[in-house]
Amino acid sequence: MNGLNVFEGLGHTFLTVFISLIPLVILFLVFQFLYLKLPMKHVLNLFKGIALALLGIAIFLQGVRVGFFPVGREMGEMLGAVSHKWILIPLGFLLGFLATFGEPAVRVLSDQIERTSIGSIRKSVVLYTISFGVALFVALGMARIIYGIPLMYIVVPGYILAMALLWPSDKTTICIAFDAGGVATGPMAVTFLLAITVGIASAMEGRDPVTDGFGLIALIALAPILSIMILGIIVHIKLRRKEV
Amino acid sequence: MRTIFKDVALEVVKAIAPITIAIVILQFAFIRMPILLFVKFLIGVLLVMLGMWLFLLGVKIGILPMGEAIGSELPKRGALPYIIAIAFLIGFAVTVAEPDVIVLSHQVDIVSDSSISHILLISVIAIGVGFFVAMAMVRIVFGFPMAYLLAAGYAIILVLSFFTPPQFVPVAFDSGGVTTGPVAVPVILALGIGFSSVLAGKSPLSDGFGLIGLASIGPVIGVMVMGVILY
Repeated sequence: MNGLNVFEGLGHTFLTVFISLIPLVILFLVFQFLYLKLPMKHVLNLFKGIALALLGIAIFLQGVRVGFFPVGREMGEMLGAVSHKWILIPLGFLLGFLATFGEPAVRVLSDQIERTSIGSIRKSVVLYTISFGVALFVALGMARIIYGIPLMYIVVPGYILAMALLWPSDKTTICIAFDAGGVATGPMAVTFLLAITVGIASAMEGRDPVTDGFGLIALIALAPILSIMILGIIVHIKLRRKEV
Repeated sequence: MRTIFKDVALEVVKAIAPITIAIVILQFAFIRMPILLFVKFLIGVLLVMLGMWLFLLGVKIGILPMGEAIGSELPKRGALPYIIAIAFLIGFAVTVAEPDVIVLSHQVDIVSDSSISHILLISVIAIGVGFFVAMAMVRIVFGFPMAYLLAAGYAIILVLSFFTPPQFVPVAFDSGGVTTGPVAVPVILALGIGFSSVLAGKSPLSDGFGLIGLASIGPVIGVMVMGVILY
């Protein structure tokens, strides 16, 4: 802990994000000159947007790293030492929900779903369903660490259930569900929730921080797949009842 | 323009305030972390809010329209091999530079006692993503069900997990999770939506999604295959 140097490493983060956007920009420029030929003003606006996103994600990642990561670690270590271990389960639920609720990529996906469905699938519904799913599975993950349940006992039945749910689900729901599984494992969830879990695992005897930490990411990726598909089936049944 | 700035700002506050409040309450109720750490956390919250505001604005103004412009231009250039090549290239390129992928490759270095170079692992993950993004585009063109692709993908993972050296299994699943980071998500999302919006008989809602879901399968298979080949 060396004081309040909250900007340490910002330059490095900025550089990696900058590099990651280069291919898109080059490809766009090639397309622009060969085919698109959009008006210059429009192109300038797009580049302003890219610059904003670049700056934004670098600052965001920095904030997660200097603020949320150490706090997650500290919280985890303190929570790992509490005598009533069961309290970790509701706490995992709460923090899992809230971290996903603050995840930028989850927002982008929900936003795009509302836009392309012309409002028939509301953004908030998608957002709450993903967050709820992750909350449930982080709570499960906590229970797993406390009682020493092997990860495979949750992940294997989970994926079997996901495969089984493919049949009653319609194709839009399936696509959205698996996309949601991808976006939920963003910087907020992975950095903050992982830090808490690693903290807990390292404070408890007989737990391996690395294995238990990994397990959490697998659970977070699985959670929204199930919750979105189950939501889709519920909506489907309701619609059918209305028609009858 | 003005309203979008305000709307996004409001959204960011709604997104970040709940977790902040929860942590502040926990801090005073029973965590009681050192005050310096708590102050750092509050500064971190401000950075996160500012960063997310700029990021979401930038995604709306820049990344999404740019990705959609490329996506919707692709079908007009006809030939399927060309579409596959470009889709592969975008998937590959976005992944190679995703910050989380770079972090993961360091972890693997430790697991494998430095027998797997960063470059090899990053290439394998990126090829996995590129391949599945290309597959996803082919799927949109021919309209075969996503369920088959996903079922096939996960079946391959399941079978491979019996042959993969155990130390590679967690790494494989992890690499599936980290590839779809904040940079890759809007780019790949916009590509699929733009692409399906201009194809006759396709709708962006029922055909344009699923690219990210498929993209997360690629690296899992890629890393598992690498484990099988190397050991």
